[in-house]
This record gives sequence, C-alpha cells and structure tokens, in this order.
Amino acid sequence: MAKLIGGLGTSHVPSIAAAIDKGLRGTPDWKPFFDGYIPGQDWVREHKPDVAVVIFNDHGNTFFLDKVPTFAVGCAEEYKPVDEGWGPRPIPPFRGAVDFSWHFVDTLVANRFDPMICQEIEVDHGLQVPMELFWGRPAEWPVKVVPIFVNVIQYPIPLPSRCYEMGRVLRQAIESYDSDERFVVLGTGGLSHQLQGSRAGFVNPTADRAFLRDIANDPDKLATMSREQYVEMFGSEGAELMMWLVMRGAMDRAVEVRHTHYFVPASMTGAGMIVLENKASSNEAAVA
Amino acid sequence: MAEDRIPEIPLFDRQRSLRGYRINKMAMGLGKPENRDAFRADESAYIDRFGLTAEEKKAVMTRDWREMVRLGGNVFFILKISAIDPARMTEIGAHQAGMDHDAFLRERLGKK
Repeated sequence: MAKLIGGLGTSHVPSIAAAIDKGLRGTPDWKPFFDGYIPGQDWVREHKPDVAVVIFNDHGNTFFLDKVPTFAVGCAEEYKPVDEGWGPRPIPPFRGAVDFSWHFVDTLVANRFDPMICQEIEVDHGLQVPMELFWGRPAEWPVKVVPIFVNVIQYPIPLPSRCYEMGRVLRQAIESYDSDERFVVLGTGGLSHQLQGSRAGFVNPTADRAFLRDIANDPDKLATMSREQYVEMFGSEGAELMMWLVMRGAMDRAVEVRHTHYFVPASMTGAGMIVLENKASSNEAAVA
Repeated sequence: MAEDRIPEIPLFDRQRSLRGYRINKMAMGLGKPENRDAFRADESAYIDRFGLTAEEKKAVMTRDWREMVRLGGNVFFILKISAIDPARMTEIGAHQAGMDHDAFLRERLGKK
C-alpha cells in the first residue's frame, strides 16, 4: 500500500512567486525568508516523495463566484498554471496522480464528504508557490500532484474541524491505495494577514509562532477553534490557515517536528513552514 | 450595507458577495489577455459591459480600493486591476487602512 512519509505546512503568498520571477531571492528583503526553506528542500530531496497532495484555496483565479465548491478535488492528467492577470508564469505544468485522485474521491464520499470533481482545471499561486518553495524551479516537477481546493473566501467557509476530519479520510485513502508510492501532504496558506478593511496590514507574530507549535503538539485545540476565532487571531485572509488542519489530520497524533521557519512580513503576511514526520516512521527512518 | 460582524473586518459573506458581484465579475474578466487589452483601450466601455452602477464605476476608475471593498469588491478579484495599472499590495492595504504607505509598513507590518 502507499505510504504517507510526511506532512508539510507552508505559506503560499503570491509575492513569493513574484520575488522568484524577478530574481529577488537574494535581496535583503527576501533572503532570510527563502533561506529558511533550505532545510525543507533538503528534506524532500532526501525523502523522495512520489506524490504531493496539496491543500490550498483558489484566489478568484480559477473559480468565480458563480460556482463555489466548498471542497474540490483535481482528477486531471495535468494542471496548468492559471493566468492571474499578469500572464501565465514560466513554470512547468503539474502532472496529476489521476488514479489516486479518483480513489481519494471514492474514499471521501464513502466517508460522507462530497467534493466537486475536476477533470480540467488550472491552478493558481496557492498550489504553485508551495511547490516552488519545496522543489525549487525544476524543468519538470519530480512529483505528481493531487490538488484539493478549499473555499476559504466566500462565506460560509467550512469549519476548521471539518478540515481536520478530511485529513483523516485522506490518510485512509493513502493507506488503502494499492501502490508503493510515497506521499507527502502539504497544508498551505497563512500565516496571519489581513488584506481588506480598516484593519488591513494586521499581522500577529505571537499567534503565528504559537500556531507553528500547536499544529504539531495540540492540533485538537486548533481544530476546535471557530472560524471567527481564526479571523480575529490571524486576520480575515489569515483564516485560511485552517487548511493546514487537513495535512495535520492525515498525520498521526504524535509527530516529530523536523523543521520550522517563521518570517514576517512577506509582503503583508506572516510566513512560515513546518516539516512533520509521524513518530513511528521517523524512528524507522533513523534505523534505516 | 449592515455593519460588519467583526469590527474592521469585511467578511465576504452573502451580502457582500451579492453586492459586489458586478465589480468582481468585471475584475475577474481581467484574467484574460483580450479583456486586459479592452480595459487598456477603453476602460469605461469595458466596465460598462458588466453593468456597474455609477458609484461602482467611479470607485474602479479612481482606483479607490477602500470604496471598491465597501461596495462588495473582494481583494482577490479587484487585485487584477493592479496587473494593468500597477499598485503594490501594500499600497492597496495602506489605502484601506487610511494610512500613508511608509507609516503602514512601519506601524502595521513592523518594517524598519
């Protein structure tokens, strides 16, 4: 059966993509941010996952308000970067893990999650940026992807607890998938930021740092928080952090934190990363 | 528009989504190169295609970000206007906070 080898969490701020495209990686504003991801990149290089399940939200690029799926799962052969207004970015398309995507959809529905199924869909910076942060800018992506789109823009957005529960179903899908492929799950978004209203520019580094601890050690606390608490603590757009709970729900209760990184501000956002392994599998790796 | 449930935070709820549908649809169109060309060539005519009210059209044409959001515009859609008429996210933020850009960077985002 397939194996879950790790859970990654990361911001997906579009300015990160713009900084890469403009060659600003080494500038004083950006260097400390990008340098913090080097251990994460080393981790994926060493652990060689075959499939990346990426949980993110579309930002008014692929979906308009005419149709808003609460959860949507990509089941496509290929995902091209979408034109967000500045033209398509110079990055290779992402290869899909079609067979697993369908297996995941089957498993979701069997567990009373009813997602939208997408066989042709483009992906925005919400998926692109996390891939670039962990895998750089290869000529071809070394992993296949499974995009999970979560609506965190149009209210009613899902409950944080629902994201956490979906993660458990994702784990079940991975472990019941007849394959020897190695999976990583990426929860993306956040950390604290607010882009609209008179509180625009709100960041909360104290809450962000606590989140990076709690997502590893006390995810139940994060899963039982209300949407309003997310908005107040992390900002109206920072509430998207709840998507990390899908990743966390896929992992064991006991995890080992391999790496964390926090940097503020990336554009208008508290930005961070975490690399988690299940305690059991990290012991296994240590023995091997 | 009713008051926000959480002060200073315009959650994109049903009311805002309905209110802002025209502005957001107009802005969503800018994801297509031919629409960006149309916007550049004759902004007023492009906006009229989407049936914006005079108030909404004025907010867009004056790049009044705070007003666009007040009228139900959502930042993820209206941001596409900045792909044609460049404005940094932090400038859009500062405008909504009613602050000078440098003060915004310093006081809200903790930039030195």
